[in-house]
Amino acid sequence: MLKKEYALDGFKRVPFIDPVRAVHGVLIDAAAPAVPACDQRTVPGVMSQRACAYYGARWFLAPLKQAIHLVHGPVSCAYYGETVRKKKYTVFSTDLSEKEVIFGGEAKLLQNLLEIGERFPDTKAILIYVTCAPGFTGDNVERACRNAEQATGIRCVPVNCPGFLGYHQATGHEIGAQVLLDHFIGRDDKAEAGSYDINILGEYDVMGDYKVIKALLGRMGINVVSALTADATVDNLARAHRVRLNVIHCRRTGGPMAEKMRQKYGIPHVKVSFFGVAQTSTALRQIGARLNLQEAAERVIAEEEAMVAADLERYRWELSGKRVGLFFGGSRIGSMQNCYRELGIEVLAAGSQFGGKDDYRDAWSTMKPGAALVDDTNEEEVLRFIRQYRPDVIAGGMREKWIAHKFGIPFTVFPQESGPYAGYFGFRNLARDILVALKAPVWQIVRGESETDAGSTS
Amino acid sequence: MSSNCQPIPIEGIAYNQLKIEKKPIVPEYVPRDPVLVPKANRTVVVNPSRTCMPFGAMFAGLGMHRGLPFVQGAQGCTTYVRYTFCRIFQEPASIANASFHEDAAVFGGRKNFIEGMRNLIVRYHPDVVTVVTTCSSEIIGDDMVSFIKAARKRLIKELGEEEGNRPKLVLVNTPSFAGSHIVGYDRASRAFLETLAQDHSKPNNRINILPGMVMPGDLRELKHMLREMGVDAYILFDISDVFDTPLMPPQTLPYYPEGGTRVAEVEDMGNSIATFALCQNEGGLGARYLEQKFEIPAFIGPMPMGVKNTDLFLKRVSEVTGREIPKSLKDERGRLLDFMADTLHHTMMKRVAIFGDPDIATGITRFACELGMEPVAVMSGTKTKTFTADIEGIVGEFGFKPLILNGSDLFELEESLKTMPVDVIIGNSKGADIAKELQVPLVRAGLFVYDRVGYHKRPVIGYRGGERLLADLVNAIMDFSYPEERTQQL
Repeated sequence: MLKKEYALDGFKRVPFIDPVRAVHGVLIDAAAPAVPACDQRTVPGVMSQRACAYYGARWFLAPLKQAIHLVHGPVSCAYYGETVRKKKYTVFSTDLSEKEVIFGGEAKLLQNLLEIGERFPDTKAILIYVTCAPGFTGDNVERACRNAEQATGIRCVPVNCPGFLGYHQATGHEIGAQVLLDHFIGRDDKAEAGSYDINILGEYDVMGDYKVIKALLGRMGINVVSALTADATVDNLARAHRVRLNVIHCRRTGGPMAEKMRQKYGIPHVKVSFFGVAQTSTALRQIGARLNLQEAAERVIAEEEAMVAADLERYRWELSGKRVGLFFGGSRIGSMQNCYRELGIEVLAAGSQFGGKDDYRDAWSTMKPGAALVDDTNEEEVLRFIRQYRPDVIAGGMREKWIAHKFGIPFTVFPQESGPYAGYFGFRNLARDILVALKAPVWQIVRGESETDAGSTS
Repeated sequence: MSSNCQPIPIEGIAYNQLKIEKKPIVPEYVPRDPVLVPKANRTVVVNPSRTCMPFGAMFAGLGMHRGLPFVQGAQGCTTYVRYTFCRIFQEPASIANASFHEDAAVFGGRKNFIEGMRNLIVRYHPDVVTVVTTCSSEIIGDDMVSFIKAARKRLIKELGEEEGNRPKLVLVNTPSFAGSHIVGYDRASRAFLETLAQDHSKPNNRINILPGMVMPGDLRELKHMLREMGVDAYILFDISDVFDTPLMPPQTLPYYPEGGTRVAEVEDMGNSIATFALCQNEGGLGARYLEQKFEIPAFIGPMPMGVKNTDLFLKRVSEVTGREIPKSLKDERGRLLDFMADTLHHTMMKRVAIFGDPDIATGITRFACELGMEPVAVMSGTKTKTFTADIEGIVGEFGFKPLILNGSDLFELEESLKTMPVDVIIGNSKGADIAKELQVPLVRAGLFVYDRVGYHKRPVIGYRGGERLLADLVNAIMDFSYPEERTQQL
């Protein structure tokens, strides 16, 4: 009975995908463009890697400065939300207890907001994350916010992101983006747009990614007003509607926001990727073309490419022909694949937790025939992928890393731990990290042992 | 020339004397109004030091052999916890989830539970599934007992009588608003014994140990002590070979670590001669349950950290089992005492702040007092009934009067420490920022150590754990007090 369920009935199905989720995976076939079914409800009980709307909202809004982040719910949501992308932020919690769950937490929330106003009068805004518990009990958060605003004079903004909303964390990203649009962007009417002012949407400064991008753009003479939300502050968001161009880096989080800003303020937007040499050059050219800075762009590109060329040649020599499986959160699946292909690494399979149709189309167009594209890959599928394809290295989130190691497969983690991956300089880091993971002598030792270990078979 | 001569600096001044006053890093720091800081005067929690009940229940569920927790809640409830386990232990943590979406929020989680349980068991063949509820499922009022019956029926229908009945389903009710991870673990220990330990007919001359949320290294140390004494013991939620496993591919699918408490072991726990709960608040409930149900004597706390507490633990084990404490353990004790004597000039009269979960904070406070350190502030993230009295009892013996924060947050700890300087902080990784801000060393111990590696492999309990903690403590103090002198002579 079980065996039948796992039997593969047609070669078109992704070989490692769970049978109940067959529609969520496609094998690339140049003749028949197809994307996996995405943005659908998660199959319960299969160890999905997805997270909740609150997770997404925290992911998006955590770096917002000059604001206090108050999590309205049991204390644990705040405890976990303290660490986002391996960075620690200060969080406040209303610490709902049994009493408030039964009789309503609005009074406690108001009390909390007043206490924050008293203790931290310098803050410019308070974000109130509404989690599952108050989402169920139906606390009137808006009213509490209004009352607190009148009493303290600090802007109180509810972020309505109970965990059960939507199917994955991208719902939270959208909610977070909407909050910024409604309550933060464009509050400063006096701001004037400089000729080379831009925003970067969907950039989160993982290990200094944003610093690299900002430096590159700075050399072209471009001024970044606000990077959402790498360096977003309440002040610079107020001016963020007076720019010439919105640059979208992560499509899933930045895309809808850019579209709304285009409708509301008439700001054009362009989707780029700063990962990989070719893509970074394309990105700089595209941005340069929009701002009439073609010459500056070409100058920067020429200088930077010359600097990294020798290094990359070496890395390409070492990495060419290796095979990789990529399991990312969302919109990186397309752009990151170009990076790997640039290094001569073959992508066997790509999966994402919450990618949209556009992301999968992107990925589809860059993948070789026969490779697999899977939505919401779960732990078991990753393991079966390892068994069936024997990749040289896997790239993905923190949670798959340790289990891949147990199977003797090297792993590179995203969001990365070692340094920026963006831009020319960052691409070198990426290549080095892949090489580091592959060449570690520990894998040689492990493999040597398992070959001599005659008794065990996988 | 001689008139312009600079005064010759006097050598031999200790660095401690040179440090005049500890100032906060930020120059514009204005001390807060002392009335506004204490947790007692406010309802808002800033930088909490405790997490939710499901965390404890999942920790327990992973401590079973071929055991998987199943979380009846939204996806984040699992993802965040898996992420936390991964960061602490650098090991995979497989936790299944019912994936609540809006439909489950409106219509209840019955469909998700039955479907999810079926998917999980068909794919992973676990021996035991810990059903963990969350705030969502508790608020919408999911009737988990009936859900479990329905899921069982579905499994039997699909997999046959034998295979469908094989996986044990243990329900742990953990509404996260009602307590912290400590309570969750406590409840899980009781739920497992209630569900599985029914037999009290065949005495097995073993003891039960409920270790609480300790690290794999602690459990190894515990097993070492018991082995030296020749005592057979069941350890309930033995995570030592779950969260610290060897890298030995090829592995089989589905992946399970080799360790964990077996279901048969838990079933036999009703026949044991005594139960030791090392932590009062983590596992005490289970020990008390066995005492009430089968009249198995329960020895609850204190955590065997430092000299006196370990002595007490070994003495009790020796009394219960009739085994002598062997010379090897007495030697270990002697080595710890020797170490304490050799390093006393580094530890004596040092002012220390301690925070963490209540039991480990109590244990560390006792050990710090034994080392001659003066506890200035002791904080427990979880409020318990006995914490204040326990700490007062310990420091009373040594004549100290620390600030005791029972169930407070890191904001209060930080602000309190700014007004009363300390030499060293002992606690988990959440204190890294405080230590940086106050410019004092942080010695990491406890459950949530995720910004340094290897801490889960090394014990803090027992005599050897004491040696390790003491070494860490002295090294941190030395690194900090004499940063420029590369070759410190002891």
